[in-house]
Amino acid sequence: MNQRIRHLTVVLMALFGILFAQLTTWQVVKQKELKNKPGNMHALYSQFDKARGTIVTADGKVIADSIKLPASSNSQFDYQREYPYGDLYANITGYYSWGYGRTQLERMQNDVLAGKTTQQQLEATGDLFSTGDVTGSVNLTIDSRIQAAAEKALGNKEGSVVVVNPTTGAVLAMYSNPSFDPNLLVSHDSNVVSEAATALQNDSRKPLLANAYQERYMPGSTMKVVTTTIGLETGFLTLDRIFKNSRSWTPPNTTKPIRNYGKKVCGGDLAEVFRRSCNIPFAQTAVEVGPDLMVNGVNRFGFDERVPFDLPGAAASTFGGTAKDFADSLALLAIHGFGQGQVQITPLHMALIASSVANGGRMMAPFVVQETRTHSGAPIKTTSPQLWKTTMAPTTAATLTQLMIGVATNGTASCCIALKNGISVAVKTGTAQLNPEGQRQRSHAWIMGFAPAEAPKVAISVFIKGVNDDVSASTGGHLAGPIAKQILDVALPLLP
Amino acid sequence: MSEGSVARSRRRTELGLVALSGIITAAAYVLASLGKHSTMPARMVPFMLFVLGLLACGHVVVRLTAKGADPMFLPMAAFVHGLGFVMIARLNDRWAGLQATWSLVGLLAFAATLIVIERTGDLRRYQFTSLAAGLVLLLLPLIPGVGFTSGGARIWVSIGPINFQPGEFAKILLAIFFAGYLAERRDLIVDGHIRFLGVTLPELRHLAPILVAWAVSVVVMVGEKDLGSSLLFFTLFVVMLWVATERTSFLVMGGGLFAAGAFIAYQMFSHVRTRVDIWLNPWAQESGRGYQPIQALYGMAHGGLTGTGLGMGSPDLIPAAHNDFIFAALGEEMGLIGVATVLAAYALLVGAGMRTALRAQRDFEKLLAVGLTTISAVQTFIIVGGVLRVVPLTGVTLPFMSYGGSSLVANYVLLAILIRISDSTARSLHEVPDSASIAERFATWRLQRAARMSEATQ
Repeated sequence: MNQRIRHLTVVLMALFGILFAQLTTWQVVKQKELKNKPGNMHALYSQFDKARGTIVTADGKVIADSIKLPASSNSQFDYQREYPYGDLYANITGYYSWGYGRTQLERMQNDVLAGKTTQQQLEATGDLFSTGDVTGSVNLTIDSRIQAAAEKALGNKEGSVVVVNPTTGAVLAMYSNPSFDPNLLVSHDSNVVSEAATALQNDSRKPLLANAYQERYMPGSTMKVVTTTIGLETGFLTLDRIFKNSRSWTPPNTTKPIRNYGKKVCGGDLAEVFRRSCNIPFAQTAVEVGPDLMVNGVNRFGFDERVPFDLPGAAASTFGGTAKDFADSLALLAIHGFGQGQVQITPLHMALIASSVANGGRMMAPFVVQETRTHSGAPIKTTSPQLWKTTMAPTTAATLTQLMIGVATNGTASCCIALKNGISVAVKTGTAQLNPEGQRQRSHAWIMGFAPAEAPKVAISVFIKGVNDDVSASTGGHLAGPIAKQILDVALPLLP
Repeated sequence: MSEGSVARSRRRTELGLVALSGIITAAAYVLASLGKHSTMPARMVPFMLFVLGLLACGHVVVRLTAKGADPMFLPMAAFVHGLGFVMIARLNDRWAGLQATWSLVGLLAFAATLIVIERTGDLRRYQFTSLAAGLVLLLLPLIPGVGFTSGGARIWVSIGPINFQPGEFAKILLAIFFAGYLAERRDLIVDGHIRFLGVTLPELRHLAPILVAWAVSVVVMVGEKDLGSSLLFFTLFVVMLWVATERTSFLVMGGGLFAAGAFIAYQMFSHVRTRVDIWLNPWAQESGRGYQPIQALYGMAHGGLTGTGLGMGSPDLIPAAHNDFIFAALGEEMGLIGVATVLAAYALLVGAGMRTALRAQRDFEKLLAVGLTTISAVQTFIIVGGVLRVVPLTGVTLPFMSYGGSSLVANYVLLAILIRISDSTARSLHEVPDSASIAERFATWRLQRAARMSEATQ
């Protein structure tokens, strides 16, 4: 019998061998394939049963947190993600939803928040028997007081505010109205989630998009900062250049004349036409500089290029054509020279353009994450400021600053931008005409600039969308100016 | 080596391994709690005392009643039992309480078996009783008012507040019968053969009781829709017959019968067809009947090589993860490395069983050890293979791991019998002193007393 028992043993061991081989097939060989199956919710489920790290503003306000649910809760998960400030930071934190995925920082910083970075894993091994919490925190450059001021100043107007530290590129505030309450999207009640998501997706104002950097708009006269820079840098424009007083000007190869805003007569030296925001001088400058140098110039500002940002899906601003397009139609170049036509800029990029003037021509890459930390507070990654573009020489930046001070003290923004304590400010306004001539007036209102003008600490762009008659009847200076002033008055005392 | 030192060394090895199993269980319990709740388990100290108490109790009983037994049996069982319990506790607190109670009952059954059955011959004497009891247990679920259907199989019996699966115990009883019957008649079966179509077949009269036992169990299994147990019984029967007679023709016959039976079952029963279809392509019914096996595969893939860590996966996505699919739940959280260890523990357990069979000096012990070990090995293969899609999924429990009292208690009884055989062999081989059992000492004492009394009266 022993011979048979030995054979039987071999057979039974072979059965275990088969099991082991098949186990290896599922867990190693075909692991990727199975993990990527759309129906595989295991990874997602275990995420929702675990604590998730916090997102914290520069001044220590927790804007995303996860709450341990009591055993009595009827949720199928152990933790509830919570955004204590509702819609205020929705475009920055994004949401981490069951069924609708994750967006913004919840997506970009997922590894840190979930505790998956190598450093966190190593630390977790070290204090296995203390807490077991491996979640990290994401610390932002956003200041809650400036963010709140932006929301308050914008009120019920549709639009965006971006506030940036011009020397580092750190984003101090970024808010768009309308926003949304991410708490609705992270509810464990799938009915609440799908109802909220459907309503938000069907909203024509696109509240789910972070309008401040994922949408782009016609810049209007704020574009003249760019055109003036290119003119000065290429030598086609100097401070002593005098533009004739004129009511209209017809660019080459077309019969359609260009007019100033409000069909006014406008002219004078560069400082005067800049602060009064005449259109014709900048149309002429663009044509004089020519298609190649203009396109080359806007590219130095980062047009038609994705802004390097630590939030996902940043839109690229566009100059609205190639050098060849403009060579074919100088009229188009003339119109784009003062920010009309197909030119489109994101509010974030607009703040960066102001920043580059403030920072001697050095445009820093924007960022919202100051640093990430492990559960015990050890830094994982700290953001160091990065130069993105050199837009102009420091002397040109100094000239632009003088021109923009003129706008604030004696030009299109003089009504509305005088700051508390007499702090000097340099700005440019914009009123972007959306309607063809002769039709109902529709216009966006812009202001961009920085303060204090002589030693800039903060750059800002305010954009008000031209969605109704109230907005469209006013100008960038009158409408966006007071908003910028309110925010700068809050921000400046906070900054060292 | 002196007789005493062999026993001492075996029991020392067992004690060390049992202690290790206890430590692993406790560590896994802590890790699962940390992974799931980020806190130390609330009832850590009572849990530790309970586990260590059970293990110490098991070890002491072996030390007292079977000191020459192979030292691998108890630790390997304790290891898989411990990990299984941790997974059940991690899945659901309520089950954990019940399973803890059943663990206690299981250990008591283990001790009782070792204490009551002091000689393997005790079992042999009751082979026909075993057959009768086994058949009754098998038929019990079919009796209206007592048996009931759960999970598609009518294998449950409800008596008072207790529900149990008598089939778990029937396996052991039938193995005892087969072993006893074949040990007595193997020579007759081998000698008295007929040749039929060039194949050597035993005379029918020698086979009749076994054929009846086999037929009844298979019919009952088909009636109860318990395919896994049916396959298990059949394999047990063929393997024991083959080992006893050393006739390969039985294997061929068994294979043929199995193929025919499988074909007929596939044709006749829709639930068999469904199982085969799901086995071949579960994704065709991803949200239907294929959901459970697919979730198991997803979970194991999520675990990968190293696992998510205990308490940190989502095995609760697999329906009945505590029961038939506990292996997949462990696969998710402990990874390939972890469950390969579990497989290795089962292989070591089977290895110890087969070693016991090889060393056994009496035919009955040999065959019984083969039978019981085959039950454990094949049952493990059927359920783990079902989870891993090696074979169609049939609901049998994973020995010592799955949630459920009947299975746990039956497996501890099975383990105790293997230990008893192993110890008996050690005595036969004079590896340990063949001291008299308690019953024998009592009998001796009575004889001596009778002798003294008759002397006194003279």
